[in-house]
Amino acid sequence: MIEVKSLRKQFAGRPVLRDLSFEIPDGRITALLGANGAGKTTCLRIVSGLLNADAGEVRVGGIDVARDPLAVRRQLGVVGDREGLYERLSVEEYLTLFAQMQGLRGSDLSRSLDGVRSELELGDLWDRRTVGFSQGERMKVSLARALVHRPQHLILDEPTRGLDVLAARLLRRTLLRLKEAGTTIVFSSHVMSEVLELSDRVLVMAEGRLVGDGEPAALMAQAGCDNLEDTFVSLAYGQSKLTEQEALA
Amino acid sequence: MRMVRQWLRGPMGALLYKELLEAWRDKRALLTAVTFALLFPAMITGATVFMFKVKSENESRLALIGAERLPLLAQQLAGEQLLVDVLEAGEPAELLAGEYDLVLQVGEDFASEYRQFGVPRLYVYMDGASKDAGRARRQLQERLAPLQQQVVQQRLVARGVAPQLLAPWRMEMRDISTPSDRGKMILASVPALLIMTLFVASLATAVDASAGERERLSLEPLLLQPLPPWQVVLAKTLAVASLGWLAGLLSVSALTALMPLMPMAELGMQQATSLSGVLAMGLLLLPLALLVAVVQLLLALGSKSFKDAQMRLSILQVAPLFLLMALDMSQVQLDRPAWQLLPLVGQQQWLKALLVGDSVSLFAVLAGSVVTLALVAAFILIGARALRRESLLGAT
Repeated sequence: MIEVKSLRKQFAGRPVLRDLSFEIPDGRITALLGANGAGKTTCLRIVSGLLNADAGEVRVGGIDVARDPLAVRRQLGVVGDREGLYERLSVEEYLTLFAQMQGLRGSDLSRSLDGVRSELELGDLWDRRTVGFSQGERMKVSLARALVHRPQHLILDEPTRGLDVLAARLLRRTLLRLKEAGTTIVFSSHVMSEVLELSDRVLVMAEGRLVGDGEPAALMAQAGCDNLEDTFVSLAYGQSKLTEQEALA
Repeated sequence: MRMVRQWLRGPMGALLYKELLEAWRDKRALLTAVTFALLFPAMITGATVFMFKVKSENESRLALIGAERLPLLAQQLAGEQLLVDVLEAGEPAELLAGEYDLVLQVGEDFASEYRQFGVPRLYVYMDGASKDAGRARRQLQERLAPLQQQVVQQRLVARGVAPQLLAPWRMEMRDISTPSDRGKMILASVPALLIMTLFVASLATAVDASAGERERLSLEPLLLQPLPPWQVVLAKTLAVASLGWLAGLLSVSALTALMPLMPMAELGMQQATSLSGVLAMGLLLLPLALLVAVVQLLLALGSKSFKDAQMRLSILQVAPLFLLMALDMSQVQLDRPAWQLLPLVGQQQWLKALLVGDSVSLFAVLAGSVVTLALVAAFILIGARALRRESLLGAT
């Protein structure tokens, strides 16, 4: 479980997160929706221990991120919104080194590497250095890096951005398989069809606050809309914005 | 030792291996390091050889005609930088067109004039258009002046006049430098250049491992691993320093290998640097290589972009050279123990001594190295704090 309580954060005096609280239960996929600048990335970075919060508390699997960030990172796999690879390393070297940094050795290491290689169809890329990889190939390697130590919790920041159809399908299939295996998944996205297909629960953020929390169908009913996109606009910007946009259309 | 081994087998070992792979697979960085490491010893060797070649070219050749009329003249004139050939006869124009810079002819009536206290003639033939004529004439005048002074004194004595009346004082130049000192002077720039090698060789790797990794967006996944930030900085420092240090070692080895080509005898030096000397110099450079690496990493991490980092480190790489040259030219006695505690200054003094075969104080080396390593540790902790900066992740 991921618990976020009364989280606050500001950059150069500008509040980015304002008293944000939510809980993400184990073994489910939760989508984080919000416009650009709503605070999604900052929130995910605080949860993964990359940034410190100004106030509030974050617990991952019962461990306080501020007190023991290293223990939290052993339980977490994170795929950022824009990630670079090491172009002088082959995929095998890259994944081996990250698995070793997570403490894997010997047969555990081999098993994990074989697992991500087959699950993410990395066979053709395995011995190649990552220079010149397509966006889809880069995403597969980044996801493999996040999964190689079999984390309990997986965080993805806009994972399908820039992916072609096949790569996006593979990613969605992998996430559903991980959910079945009991992994807790949080992802941010702007693609409503993807959110609808994958998520058990949706959190809607606007200006650093949580403005919607529930299963997709329940949220749509709450907002009185028949699709998730209208629901998001209504919750994030207000009913007036939705009416205004419908009038323009 | 066991603890270090276990530590290196764990996540830290993987991180260090990753940093070393990244550093040593960067062909451009490697090429820069090797090129500079080999280029400067080659340049020092070339410059020294050239300097002595120029010196030997400064010798003048004088043809002396009619020496039998002034028997001691040839012996008095000959010496360093003036070669005198006594000829029985010869045409001055032909001799000057050949191998001679100057022709000195003793007049036929020289002996009789001299005996009668007259003013006998010495004829000097020169080719005014030749670039070497002026130098040869100056050298001849320098040799003739004391001889002339001696004759004047003898004549005064013969007339009962004390020669001191004509010369209230006599100035004598005495060069108190030893051959080893002259060698030291010529090789004084080598330690500063060796230290500069550390900066130049690790520059590209330092930028790549910090600002480069941030710009390529690969720093964030690294910071998400269960490793304390100080270990990340330490691994990067070791990887960056490995390149600088090995380039330094390569420079020392190249310099030692090229020493036989240098005019060591003319420098008054023995081949002071042996294999053990190379190893000693390598050990001396190790703490400094670590310090250079961590300072470069910190500066690059604090820069706004990859280019900004390159500019900062380019300025930094020449700073020690100017600093050490300024200190060398100042009146400060850098060989005092207190100065040797300072990074850069200590290493410069020890290298200087080892290069000419002098001994260095083991205590000074240990104390200076401990100070340098303490600074490395402090900078690693500062770097660990820098990795927590929000601006580093583009979060602000």
